[in-house]
Amino acid sequence: MVSCMCVIQEGQTPDRRREALATALDGYVQERLGASPSVSWVPVAEGNGFTAGKPSTSSVLVLTAEEPLTQQHRESVLRELVALWTSETGCSVDEIVAVVADPASH
Amino acid sequence: MPLYICNSKRGAVDAAAKEKIARDITDIHCEVTGAPEIFVHVVFFEESAQFPLGESTLAVRGTIRKGRSSEQKERIAGAVKESLMQHGRVAPEHTHAEIRETPASWVLEGGEIMPEPGEEAAWFAAQEERRRAAGLQ
Repeated sequence: MVSCMCVIQEGQTPDRRREALATALDGYVQERLGASPSVSWVPVAEGNGFTAGKPSTSSVLVLTAEEPLTQQHRESVLRELVALWTSETGCSVDEIVAVVADPASH
Repeated sequence: MPLYICNSKRGAVDAAAKEKIARDITDIHCEVTGAPEIFVHVVFFEESAQFPLGESTLAVRGTIRKGRSSEQKERIAGAVKESLMQHGRVAPEHTHAEIRETPASWVLEGGEIMPEPGEEAAWFAAQEERRRAAGLQ
């Protein structure tokens, strides 16, 4: 199981979009990492997210792989994930931080 | 990145205090590391199960790029804790601040893999150029 935590600003990603994003993430992770993702949404309530000390529109996606990845594989996954996210949500690349981590024991 | 996640007991920190703490964390991180503030993210939760509070009333977990010195990490954690106590009006024994690290090569922000600490100049210049070209600066 690939852990996938999505920290999003509440109200920025409507439920309908979130469902579409979850479906897209599920298919993508299975295809590229060979395992189903366990997606957890962590909404940040309005007034509770800041970037540069000001109200934030940024989302943070943290995906933890089941096995260590080569850097080449990791980079391609990161770029594809951000492309998927911006495509599904309409946000810019400046509004998404993506992390693809190796499992904790590595 | 960095990402500072603040978790507190319900109602322990009001909106004005959150703004001040977020401002302080941003300034502290930038002063200690030299990073530009546009990359500093601070989020607040109340009794979030994902980020357990333990015995604390107000706690912060900062995840920064790997490679900062122990002295830098201690300075950040100490100053963040001071801010929590001052603005959150919480006793020292009920506040907690910790710094965790993530390799820069694991993180993509602004559409590019983050640079290693100390190797930011070219990366930031490219980011500024991209943002300028996109009319964002």
